[in-house]
Amino acid sequence: MAARRVARAILRDDDDADDAVQDGVLAAWRAIDRYDPARPFRPWLMRIVLNAALDARRRRRVRQSEVLHEGYESGGPLPDRTTDQSLFRERFRQALNGLPERQRVAVVLFDAEGYAHAEIAEVLGVPEGTVRSYVFHGRRALREALGDFKEEKA
Amino acid sequence: MSEQLSFDYQPDPELGTMIRAALDGESPDAFVARLRAAVREAPRETSWDVLSRWAPAGLVAAGIAAALMWFVIGPGQPPASSGAMLASAPVQMDLAPGQPETDVITVSLVEGR
Repeated sequence: MAARRVARAILRDDDDADDAVQDGVLAAWRAIDRYDPARPFRPWLMRIVLNAALDARRRRRVRQSEVLHEGYESGGPLPDRTTDQSLFRERFRQALNGLPERQRVAVVLFDAEGYAHAEIAEVLGVPEGTVRSYVFHGRRALREALGDFKEEKA
Repeated sequence: MSEQLSFDYQPDPELGTMIRAALDGESPDAFVARLRAAVREAPRETSWDVLSRWAPAGLVAAGIAAALMWFVIGPGQPPASSGAMLASAPVQMDLAPGQPETDVITVSLVEGR
C-alpha cells in the first residue's frame, strides 16, 4: 500500500505509520466535499496522508527526545545478522532512512510507487524540477551506500 | 540497481523493489480492513458543517459591526449622506480583512463551486 510505505518512510515506525495513514484517510474522507474533481485524486490523497505523517512526527517529537533517533540515523555498527540478505536489507533501510526527508519521499513515490514527477510535485508542493533534483540526489546516495556495502562484502 | 543517467526519467524497477521490501509491513489485508472499519464509523463533513462552524463567529462580528455603525453614525440619523459614508468608511475598511463574516462568504463561494 503506497500510503503506508510513504508514512513509514517518514515516521520509520510501523505502528505510528499505520496510525498516520488512518488519520490521513479519515481526514480525506471527512473533507471529501472539498476535493476539486478537476485535480488528480491520487496526489491529493497522498498529500493529506503525508501531512498526517508529518503531524504525527511533530507530536512524537514532543513526546520523545530526539536523542533516541541519533543512533538509528548515524550509520553506526549494524546488528549481527545471520545472512547477507538481511544485512543488505538492513543497510538499505538505513541508507533510505538517512536521506533527507523530501528526497526520501520523492524516491519512494517515484521508484516504488510509480508517481510521475508532476504528481510528486503536487504532493510535496514544490516545482517539478525540484522533484527531479530530489530523485537524482536520493538515488545517488542510495547507490553509493549500497556500493559501499558490496565493496565491504567483496 | 541499474546504472542510469544522472537525471533519469523512468522509475528504476530494481530500486523500487528494494524500497517496497524495506518499507512493506506484514498483513496489509488486516490493515485495509482496519481502514475500512474506521471509514465506516467516521462521520463525513458536509459543506453545512464547515459553514456552521463559522456562523456563530459571523453573527457576533455582524453584531459588533452594527454596534460600531450605530456608535459612529448615531441613532435617529437620516439615511447616510455621502459625508457620513466617507466618515464611516475607514472603520469598515479596518474591519473588513480577516473578519469571520468575510470568511463565511469566501467559504460559501468555494463550497458552492
